[in-house]
Amino acid sequence: MLGFLLFLLGNRVDELRVYQGASIAVFVIAISSLILLTGYSGQVSLGHGALMAIGAYSAAIARNEFKIPVVLTFFIAVLFTAIAGALLGAAAARLSGPYLAGTTLALAIGLPSLANQFEPLGGEQGIPFDVGLPPARLGESFTQYKWFFWIAALAALICMWLLSNILSSRYGRNWRAGRSNEVAAQICGINMSRSKILAFTLSAGIAGLAGALLSMTIGTVSPSAFTLALSFSILTGAVLSGITTLVGTMIGAVILVILPEIADVVAHQIGSSERVTSNLPGFLLGALLIVTVLFVPNGPVEQHHARAAKRAAKKKS
Amino acid sequence: MQLLNTILIGITAGSIYSLMAIAFVLVWRSTRVINFAQAGMALLSTYFGYEAVTRIGSFWLALPIAMLGGAIIAALVEVTLMRSLVKHASTGPIAAVAPIIATLGLLGLLRAVIAMVWGGQNLVIFPPVSNAGFTVNGEVLVFSPLKLLILSTTLVLMALLSLLFQRTNLGLSLRASAYAPEISHLSGIRVDLIRTLGWALAGAAGAVAGIFQTVNGNGNFSPDSIEFALLLVSGFIAAVIGGLDSLLGAVIGGMFLGVVIAFVLIYINSGLFFIAPFIILLATLFIRPQGIIGVRAGRRA
Repeated sequence: MLGFLLFLLGNRVDELRVYQGASIAVFVIAISSLILLTGYSGQVSLGHGALMAIGAYSAAIARNEFKIPVVLTFFIAVLFTAIAGALLGAAAARLSGPYLAGTTLALAIGLPSLANQFEPLGGEQGIPFDVGLPPARLGESFTQYKWFFWIAALAALICMWLLSNILSSRYGRNWRAGRSNEVAAQICGINMSRSKILAFTLSAGIAGLAGALLSMTIGTVSPSAFTLALSFSILTGAVLSGITTLVGTMIGAVILVILPEIADVVAHQIGSSERVTSNLPGFLLGALLIVTVLFVPNGPVEQHHARAAKRAAKKKS
Repeated sequence: MQLLNTILIGITAGSIYSLMAIAFVLVWRSTRVINFAQAGMALLSTYFGYEAVTRIGSFWLALPIAMLGGAIIAALVEVTLMRSLVKHASTGPIAAVAPIIATLGLLGLLRAVIAMVWGGQNLVIFPPVSNAGFTVNGEVLVFSPLKLLILSTTLVLMALLSLLFQRTNLGLSLRASAYAPEISHLSGIRVDLIRTLGWALAGAAGAVAGIFQTVNGNGNFSPDSIEFALLLVSGFIAAVIGGLDSLLGAVIGGMFLGVVIAFVLIYINSGLFFIAPFIILLATLFIRPQGIIGVRAGRRA
């Protein structure tokens, strides 16, 4: 249903919006992966940009070197990143809070630079990732960007559906239990390390998908697309959406993609200099993050629910 | 010869990491929070130093001014941000990650503000003493007066801070407030003031780290300098390696990290510069998760 709506939308808006739509879809996937890991399983990761990079590179290499059909490359991206996530999760299972954050931070900075080390990874300029033109039967007006948007949106929809199922299952409950109180969860028979590693693996796989899709929209895979800033943006988006729930994911993704434009508009209204305008998005994002954590810590959706519940309780009494 | 040079390079870089690590440890010991915005504050302090150097013309005056600036900024942040954080976000699932996210937001904010005020171009701070190596037995060492300055400043700072913590009443209050805030309160210690002081000290240490990192390189810096991101990560890793609770550990961790990275860069492969800290961190956390001087926290039921 939603997919049909998006398709209609995709046909009516111009190129830029369609591209932004694809970016939003990518961010939705990336943010949801972080919500799983941090919001549900309680493990902070500042390095999801690096995981996205792994997905992107594996997809691109699979396509370029092994000529694997496009659809399969995305699955390969998920698989490889999931394996990396399992390894990372095994290392991270003993770490808590700030130690984990710092480790993932170091990963986020260190991993993309590896591209310069190994030949097939293409170095600074990166390697191309071309998903090919849209199938001819979709008609002339179906541009490349619309094709990207379609693929990304479809992936996002499937991903969200799968993820919401997983999160309401036994595994989701295990993660939430572990996050609240590890000792109590263990007493209930939950194997903490296995649960944590599973969360990491899954989260990584999803992030890898997002990375591959991101590279699809850009056309190449290079270290410059997967900076530390990207990792921070995903975390920001997750916090803005409400890190404990999947429902608000769109909010964070939309904010992330639209903010530079809004900042531009604001800056032009108040007629400020180039310096201020180019840095306004960063400023606004940082400020928004702080305000959100202080006043809306569980995200706007949860806040709304909590308030509605309070009101209902008041009515009854 | 190369061995000696490598060690010297490592120790110098390590001293700067140690300074940053000291800042992290100070914040951790006083408020049990990892302040990711430390690098942003160090950057801001560096800009203060730059202003001071260009207006006054003396590096030796600029350094204390930058330290003071760093301390004030840090204190302001503690009073406004951190206290609100404790008030609003200390319960619920977000509690563990809230300080991390808030400090990250602050980092972005600081960076943007700096770029807005000073612009994104490279500015330069010139080192106060020459960076030309000493000559020993006719060969030029990589060690220079500048590196000697950095090393000695680090050691002096560490000594002063340790003295403060171990031998003074203020230091006792600092330590008590971190470990048992309620009891300290009952004993008459102004816990909130102490926490602000801890942050201020950390801000000053970070300022020194930022300025030295700049002059130790080529003197260039800008809001986007990769040096500061590296400083953040390396400082944090150094703090973890040394054990987050110990100032001595911070210094040892920093030196250790610096030397190991130097060895990796020179003897193995210079391209591994960015990934090396990560590997070292993982190795340390596997072998000795509480750090070199850390004390393993007992398991509480």
